Amino acid sequence: MSETYPSLGQCALVAAAFKILLFPAYRFESDWSLGSTDFEVHRNWLAITHSLPISEWYYEKTSQWTLDYPPFFAYFEWVLAHIARLADPGIVRIFNLEYDSWQTVYFQRTTVILTELVLVYALQCFIDSTPLASRRAAQVAALSIILSPGLMIIDHIHFQYNGFMYGILVWSLVLARSRSTLLYSGLVFAALLCFKHIYLYLAPAYFVFLLRAYCLSAKSVFRIRFLNCLKLGAGLAGIFAAAFGPFAAMGQIPQMLSRLFPFSRGLCHAYWAPNIWALYSFADRALIHLAPRLGIEVNSEALGSVTRGLVGDTAFAVLPDISPRTCFILTLFFQILPLIKLFRWVGAPSWEDFIGAVTLCGYASFLFGWHVHEKAILLVIIPFSLIALRDRRHFGAFRPLAVAGHVSLFPLLFTPAEFPIKTVYTIFWLVTFLMAFEHLAPASNKPRVFLLDRFSTLYIAVSIPLIAYCSLVHQIIFGKSYEFLPLMFTSSYAAIGVVGSWVGYMVVYFTS
Amino acid sequence: MAAPSPSPHKPRRKAKKLGIGPDTHVRPRSEIFVRAPSFPLAAFLWPARTASSQWQVLPLILMVAGLFRWAAGLWGYSGFNRPPLFGDYEAQRHWMEITTHLPISQWYFHDLEWWGLDYPPLTAYHSWALGKIGALINPEWFALFTSRGSDDPTLKIFMRATVIVSEYLTYIPAAVVFVRRYSRLSGVSSWTASLALVAILMQPSTILIDHVHFQYNTVMLGLVLATMASFLAERYKWSAVFFVGALMFKQMALYYAFTVFAYLLGRCFFPHIKLTRLFGIALVTLATYAVIVLPLVIGTLYDSYRGVTSRPDLDGPPAPLPIFPWVTKFIDTNAFYYPVVEVLVQVLHRVFPFSRGLFEDKVANFWCALNVVLKIRNYPAVLLQKAALGATLLSILPPNIIIFLRPRKTTMPLAFAATAWGFFLFSWQVHEKSVLLPLMPMTLLLAGKHGMNREIRAWVGFANILGAWTMFPLLHRVDLRIPYAVLTLLWAYLLGLPPASWSVYFDERGTTWSQLATAVLHTGFYLLMGVWHVLEAFVLPPAGKPDLWVVANVGVGVAGFGICYLWCLWRLTLDSDILPARGKPKKKTQ
Repeated sequence: MSETYPSLGQCALVAAAFKILLFPAYRFESDWSLGSTDFEVHRNWLAITHSLPISEWYYEKTSQWTLDYPPFFAYFEWVLAHIARLADPGIVRIFNLEYDSWQTVYFQRTTVILTELVLVYALQCFIDSTPLASRRAAQVAALSIILSPGLMIIDHIHFQYNGFMYGILVWSLVLARSRSTLLYSGLVFAALLCFKHIYLYLAPAYFVFLLRAYCLSAKSVFRIRFLNCLKLGAGLAGIFAAAFGPFAAMGQIPQMLSRLFPFSRGLCHAYWAPNIWALYSFADRALIHLAPRLGIEVNSEALGSVTRGLVGDTAFAVLPDISPRTCFILTLFFQILPLIKLFRWVGAPSWEDFIGAVTLCGYASFLFGWHVHEKAILLVIIPFSLIALRDRRHFGAFRPLAVAGHVSLFPLLFTPAEFPIKTVYTIFWLVTFLMAFEHLAPASNKPRVFLLDRFSTLYIAVSIPLIAYCSLVHQIIFGKSYEFLPLMFTSSYAAIGVVGSWVGYMVVYFTS
Repeated sequence: MAAPSPSPHKPRRKAKKLGIGPDTHVRPRSEIFVRAPSFPLAAFLWPARTASSQWQVLPLILMVAGLFRWAAGLWGYSGFNRPPLFGDYEAQRHWMEITTHLPISQWYFHDLEWWGLDYPPLTAYHSWALGKIGALINPEWFALFTSRGSDDPTLKIFMRATVIVSEYLTYIPAAVVFVRRYSRLSGVSSWTASLALVAILMQPSTILIDHVHFQYNTVMLGLVLATMASFLAERYKWSAVFFVGALMFKQMALYYAFTVFAYLLGRCFFPHIKLTRLFGIALVTLATYAVIVLPLVIGTLYDSYRGVTSRPDLDGPPAPLPIFPWVTKFIDTNAFYYPVVEVLVQVLHRVFPFSRGLFEDKVANFWCALNVVLKIRNYPAVLLQKAALGATLLSILPPNIIIFLRPRKTTMPLAFAATAWGFFLFSWQVHEKSVLLPLMPMTLLLAGKHGMNREIRAWVGFANILGAWTMFPLLHRVDLRIPYAVLTLLWAYLLGLPPASWSVYFDERGTTWSQLATAVLHTGFYLLMGVWHVLEAFVLPPAGKPDLWVVANVGVGVAGFGICYLWCLWRLTLDSDILPARGKPKKKTQ
């Protein structure tokens, strides 16, 4: 196998050069309400963990950006704060709201680049653990993740530590590949949960997979491997104790949970994440105009509420309102479907099936979840990337997701300075990797079931006028009015792609 | 079906054969047989080695080049938040302001102190067009007087975009065409040509000066590149058009003028004399000049007809001409065409400020270096100008005589480079940024025969990194150390050059003496540059000599550039087969 160029390290290095050039991105805004809030969020957390005793971390609320990540992330910020203090003591002062000296920017952005090395390492493990025959495909898939426009937009322009978090996730997924490291896979995932609880969405797949492959015998579901259960149980208990123990001892768990799970937020986030509810809202908006002709009653209170800009409650004018419970039940239902198949696999489920189940769990929670943020699309894209090159059927389902998922992130960056970067970079990534995947995905031995691939070409083609309209034409025609219109189009467009790819992949999963 | 994409249900065997499979479809080019890429840039384009057409790769290359340019542009520009005069950015913005608001006859007379227009007319028209477009978006950006020193962030984005668009309309297509023609001529595979194209487009100095520090050099360089590409295609009249365009965009293109002239003349005389060609070229040149000056002439006539003149007092006598005052003896100052004469003389006066000193700032130029030893500012200016003229002529004569006698397409970039080095080192009024001019043709060598092999890569890389390094003081002044470091190191890394790798100096088949000498020489310079960076960053210069580090930079720069000049000249001599015997008459690094 000589054809493994460029290597992961080479790509990571050049990408790092590009990311350093992006340091000033999203900063020179006239006021902070336009700038990256996540940047200030993380600076504030550095300040909280550094200046306050641990008992006040989850109570502190000088800034509106309170600490709402689980304890491991708080510990991580605490460690970073010790270095941050050396870079610029101003960073770690709580009352220094919206502090953004150059040192702060350099420091925070550098930590994102450096912690992303975890992802590089995990992906290298992924490549090394792939059998020789498909190693080249694995390498390309790994490159697509490390160069992902999602991470580029969210982490390096906007600001978050997703590279680090997904690095841990991929590492855990790779550990699940070998029977001997199954235990560690579970433990690493548990640790990840203590970093960022959004990964709870993927937990059902882990639970079922570890139960079937690690706790129960491969031969029979009714033979329990007690020693394994004990090891896993003890390990999990240890990790959760390390994370939550100190807070439990101080009796702060309810306060912490209220921070971690703010159910008071609305169904849709500030921008509509491209999921079922975006389509639902779109249908509602469309029905408002049709309602008088159809003779349907319109809830006049809801007319003024457009889910944009405000993190608040969503009211529907025509269609029935959605409760968190509905979301939860739908999510769980669509997670359980693939999990039943995962559990009932003859013998032990394969690693690819496990990744498939993780992907479908991500899909279900993204599509039906309550208050889903569009950034959560990475929960689907990244696990899916690992298996997208299994065969052409997988790739066929992946393609609309790759387009829709990344286009849906565009509204995150709305300043003109970042516009060329997000669009050109995404187009570059899509062209490069969809072309490479096209070459590398082997033919499937199963017949095709769906006509979605035909549809996906058209779908991808539509994205170009859509982006042009949303970013340029709309402003020229309407100026500042109807601002929600481009957002609604983007998210509805992306929602169609995500739902389409989900249906396509469900079919692939259940027929293989 | 919107596009005839390869539909996924086809059997994939065929695609595999065409694709990047390991041992299929190998083309009879020596590079393809190489098992592993010898430097990282080759690794990045490795999968494209067997691509059926390099046109698939080209859009990706252009996207990456654009991304790096735009990202670099997020950093500050020269003169950002630096009153009273700001910097080059303000100069360019100001030109858009005055060209869109003043009558055309006044452009070259307006307030010299605040960045008066001192570039030739094509730049003025360019500014006018950009100013008109910008005013559609926000008229305040270019409002007369009130917009001076504007630091509107949206204006910055507009200005950055204009640089990129201008470059993508000139430099980049010219580079693509040139690389294509030059590599074919030299028998280089199209994959290797793609490597060279990336290396040329990612040149750190160009990005740093145009897209970070702010200027439109690439337009002029692009027109020169188009001239060279036309040379390769033997379209000499077009080359004349392009070159006049370059000159009329930025007078700095004069660095190349001798070579263009010598090459064209050589092509008209060898192998046999073609007077019609010579005549045609001369005619086209004059016509191009005329066309470019025409808007200025017509505009001035129209303005004087409307009563807009440059006279200090209404109905008073015209102001004396700034240069060539004897002209008034021969023509009537009240004639209808006199304002045109005035404007044209004024343009010349603005564009060629002979009255300024030999050099302005600390620049890695022979005179500035000599000044350290000899305090030459105390000598009479006329003597210095003569000395500069003499030294420049002496340095540019050899390459131009060679290219006149042997006007070969393959050696033409070398002649351009050697001449531009001569100008950079010895002429007066040189600016740090002028190093872009010799670097451009020298970097083009990468697309030529053996361009990506060790020797040429080592020398081109050396010149480029040294060039970027001499501009560090300029960039440092406006806090651009990070983009400087990132872009320079990235380029060095991609091409496998120091400080990222020393592999370029060592051949696994055995190292020759000349390679070893190059290695020692270059390593010495790289060490000096490294040490200099450490000193500059951590050690304060001694109290009496606050400029010590800058002067050291100049000294090292001059020495290195002098060597680059000699190398170009030596290669030119060698490749032109001008020497009778193939014995080595000169050691390359004398």
